[in-house]
Amino acid sequence: MMTLIIGFLIGCAFGAILFLGGASSYRKILGTLLLRDMSIIKLMMTAIGVGTLGIYLLDQGGLAHMSIKPAYIWGIVAGGAIFGTGWAISGYCPGTCLVGSAEGKFDAIATLIGGLVGALIFAWAFPMLDELLLQNADFGKITIQGLFGINGLYLAVPFSFAMLFAAFFLLKDRYE
Amino acid sequence: MNDNPIISWKIAGVALGLLLTLATYLVSPLGVSTQFVVTDAIVLHKVAPAVAESNTYLAKYGVEQDWGVGYGWMLIFGMIVGGGVTALIFRDKQPEGDKGSMPAMWTAKFGPSEGKRYAASFFGGLLLLFGARLAGGCTSGHMISGISQLAVSSMIFGVVTFAVAILVAKLIYNNQVKIS
Repeated sequence: MMTLIIGFLIGCAFGAILFLGGASSYRKILGTLLLRDMSIIKLMMTAIGVGTLGIYLLDQGGLAHMSIKPAYIWGIVAGGAIFGTGWAISGYCPGTCLVGSAEGKFDAIATLIGGLVGALIFAWAFPMLDELLLQNADFGKITIQGLFGINGLYLAVPFSFAMLFAAFFLLKDRYE
Repeated sequence: MNDNPIISWKIAGVALGLLLTLATYLVSPLGVSTQFVVTDAIVLHKVAPAVAESNTYLAKYGVEQDWGVGYGWMLIFGMIVGGGVTALIFRDKQPEGDKGSMPAMWTAKFGPSEGKRYAASFFGGLLLLFGARLAGGCTSGHMISGISQLAVSSMIFGVVTFAVAILVAKLIYNNQVKIS
């Protein structure tokens, strides 16, 4: 029960941050994808920078409940390409279309319904895709530091600073 | 007229990073796309239980799993409530260009037809969730949470997704439409 309440509260904060930061805006998402208004990619890189440091500091004390997704190369590449296409067309991702729907944006609601249908089609196609794309070239739940065989913090610290440095100093908006 | 988001990307980014850290400490990292399948499974179990049980993917979220309604599902439910309530409170402060269902840059390119915009959004959403389920995650689970855990799968997903999305966005807009 406690886990459910925590999930709900974290979700509330997540939804609020996405709305307040402008991530549920078509204009903002397409601005980043057209490499003009970089605020969304900078938001994401800042979150990753802070998150990487936070998670690997927790991990030093054995307090991080990590969840590494398996690296089945073909499925990830094909799924990423299909996802990227849908992202550019709708201007939403699965999380921001929830927030956009809650704002009462009909294009977000259409994306949400399309998403439910897409997930259902995947469920139907799963047995076939499983053999073709998910079982082949599956390297399991690997991490970068696992490949090098070192403590995650040694990579997390420089990676985190690289992300924050890029977001704060390298990426520039390009209005035309 | 202020055209910037209500909070800057810096504040939103730091807040999201801290929230991810908190979630990873308390339960597990953030994720959204799995819950679309869970929702499908809940609905299908109600309307056509035999079909739901015969599908290896949907059967995972049946009655013995409390319909899959756990931390993850409560999280996306919270996103709708939190996003909706915040939108109600701060509606006046939201930039005009971020409001509504018909983005100005879309209408400049494809005209005022609402049907066309909603059809494209539906199709885009279909691709989003099919792709996310195939890859095992979306912007939240793979990009934000996964890359923050230095997962190899998520780094590949992030690079491929951004490369393809940038390409498709450029194709759609031919580099012509101004952001306004």
